[in-house]
Amino acid sequence: MGSVRVAHYVNQFFGGLGGEEKADAMPELRPGPVGPGALLQQLLGTEARIVGTVFCGDNRMVEHEADTLPAVVALLRDLAPDLVVAGPAFNAGRYGLACAAVCAAARRELGVPALTAMFSENPGREAADRSVLVAVAGSTAATMKPDLERVAHLALKTLRGESLGPADVEGYFPTGRRVNEFGTETGAERMVQMLLRKLRKETYVSELIVPPFDHVPPAPPVSDLARTTLGIVTTSGVVRTGNPEGIESWRATKWARYPLAGVDALSPDAFTCVHGGYDNRYIRANPHRAVPLDVLRRYTRDGRVGRLHEVLYSTVGNVMPVERARRLGREVAQELRDAGVQAVLLTAT
Amino acid sequence: MNLEIGSFAVRDVEFGARTALRDGILSVDRRALIAHLLEDPSLAEVNVEIARPGDSTRIIHILESAEPRIKVSGARDFPGLLSPPDLAGSGRTHRLESVAVLGTANIPGAADSQGLKEAIVDMSGPGARYHPFAGTVNVVLELTVQAGLSGTEAIAACRRAGLRAAVFLAGTTRELAPDSVESFALAPVDPALPRVAYVMPVMSEGEIHTTFFYGRSVQSLPALVHPNEVLDGALVSADYWIGCHRSPTYLYQNEPVIRALYRGHGAELNFVGVLLCRCLITSQDEKWRQANQAAKVCQMLGIQGAVITMSNGGHAYVDQMLLCQKLEQAGVATVLGVDEYADADGSDFPLVTHVPEATAIVSMGNQEEIVKWPAVERVLGGSEFLAGNAYEQGFQRRPSEPLTVALRQVYCATNQLGWSTLRSRAY
Repeated sequence: MGSVRVAHYVNQFFGGLGGEEKADAMPELRPGPVGPGALLQQLLGTEARIVGTVFCGDNRMVEHEADTLPAVVALLRDLAPDLVVAGPAFNAGRYGLACAAVCAAARRELGVPALTAMFSENPGREAADRSVLVAVAGSTAATMKPDLERVAHLALKTLRGESLGPADVEGYFPTGRRVNEFGTETGAERMVQMLLRKLRKETYVSELIVPPFDHVPPAPPVSDLARTTLGIVTTSGVVRTGNPEGIESWRATKWARYPLAGVDALSPDAFTCVHGGYDNRYIRANPHRAVPLDVLRRYTRDGRVGRLHEVLYSTVGNVMPVERARRLGREVAQELRDAGVQAVLLTAT
Repeated sequence: MNLEIGSFAVRDVEFGARTALRDGILSVDRRALIAHLLEDPSLAEVNVEIARPGDSTRIIHILESAEPRIKVSGARDFPGLLSPPDLAGSGRTHRLESVAVLGTANIPGAADSQGLKEAIVDMSGPGARYHPFAGTVNVVLELTVQAGLSGTEAIAACRRAGLRAAVFLAGTTRELAPDSVESFALAPVDPALPRVAYVMPVMSEGEIHTTFFYGRSVQSLPALVHPNEVLDGALVSADYWIGCHRSPTYLYQNEPVIRALYRGHGAELNFVGVLLCRCLITSQDEKWRQANQAAKVCQMLGIQGAVITMSNGGHAYVDQMLLCQKLEQAGVATVLGVDEYADADGSDFPLVTHVPEATAIVSMGNQEEIVKWPAVERVLGGSEFLAGNAYEQGFQRRPSEPLTVALRQVYCATNQLGWSTLRSRAY
């Protein structure tokens, strides 16, 4: 029997305790495999041993996670596992959420790899952070055997320290990493074949599943512009002539701060545009097309705008990685907040 | 419209006393070719070199690539650019198979934010897999333009030189019988087969970067085009922006999607035609107008399915995604060809934008991947990398030295017409 230790987490139903009426069951530990663990142990063979099974009611875990999760983690810690497996949760939503939480906690607090399995639409999938490997499973326990085969395959590879192949080949949900490789058919051939399958209503696998974009809710309207301190931020790439900050024309890594005190207009001699994502001749000829300082000065003079924050914040918003855009956004927002700016005119191109 | 393309298999290209094709060897009179190109008063200096598969050679500053072609009947060469805008796509065309003309130049002052970007190929080693020219014998033009030309004029001169060299070299075949002949015609097929269009947005952003259709920049009003026109020189690239997803003239002459759709025509599908569109349209209204018009044309033609590619990047994704959305809403099944901006470690969101209707996507790879290539013995095209983005640390070294660079600088590496088997997969 292998010395590699696996701890298994299941819910009250797969732990043999009962159904919905036992969904409040407290965490409990039993030695060795329980329920689906018996088959999982068979599939793991002699290479790894399920040393214990922790189970818990789904409602207990989801509704009282703050107390329950530490208790589960403590029981898992007692098993001194090399790997934690949770589920499969199929399409059981609360069970999926519990598996995701247990795996994330095992990674975080026990420092061991963790693996779960569930159906594609289980809300636990979204909840699982990227450190948790989630195997593809069917929607009901009818696919228990193939699902556990996938779990065992991934568990053994993980325990051996072997790197995993592509998600669709190995049977896990993508963790958000893209890897280039050469295949056998050209992109053109693959496009035409995928189209034919789509037209024939046959199944096809898109090579890129687009995740939903984050939705940024629009801020509420400015109630009284005449009493507002207004800032100007632009991603149009309008910079000081000579681009002293060296802002890149695409995938920019920085932003610039230009004092506007005493500047009534952005002359094409003093300002230019380094954005590389559009034909920027028109903005170079008249930077106000991207940063309407002329109009804002007029509006401030005639009282339509209360006060102008005397700094222009600028960067190039051209194929910037989303994470970096978040960071730059936070940095600029902090400055604006510190300066008491209440609203921002954000111009993009 | 019936096009016959006669291919001449070329095993090697060498310099010789006269320009002729004999027994698969293309002999090139270097001085005559240079003199021919220098008839263009915009050019100050021309050098010609040969880069063969397996050579320890790195070619940089690539602006143009074209396959040597000559029209034997039916129209004149590169209509609209080198000759009046005859209708291309009929008659007979000769091509030198496995030969390419690569035009290179360093145009002073043209590398600003709207100017030229670097484009690199290695003829051997690990880099050879990433571009279409590792298996061709390349006639490399090193071009110097006259002082005082605008960037646009200078680049136009380089483009003309590439095309004129292609015609000059293929002129050797005028009186010869080709080794093989392929015919291209959209013959009537079983009406039960699905009606498929190729929706082809090509790069046209501004005064420097564009694509010529019979000598005019492609417009954002979609044009119904016969695939033979694309294969036969009606479409000429003037895209000098990010190197990895340029669609050069060479790939239009050998357009991979058109080739694949022709292979399926009559067997699995009914190839109705090409809808030539524009990407990198600079106004949102025009983006919407184009997408609506394209969907309308597809509906009028009874199109059931469409492949939608794109060219270059950035907001080209907006153009492509709007086309996808409007076509799907019009009942046309779509498949998209994209390349990805997933960052060097593959972790970033890979697309600039998308629509919910984009459910069938083929990926030509992540252009942010870092590749490392060894030193080379010979560099053609220039002596220093183009001063470009500070992002490219690798460009601080000499071009002959070991190169560490993002795929984005590699010519055609992730081109969305799908010539390559490179793809990006989810892990």
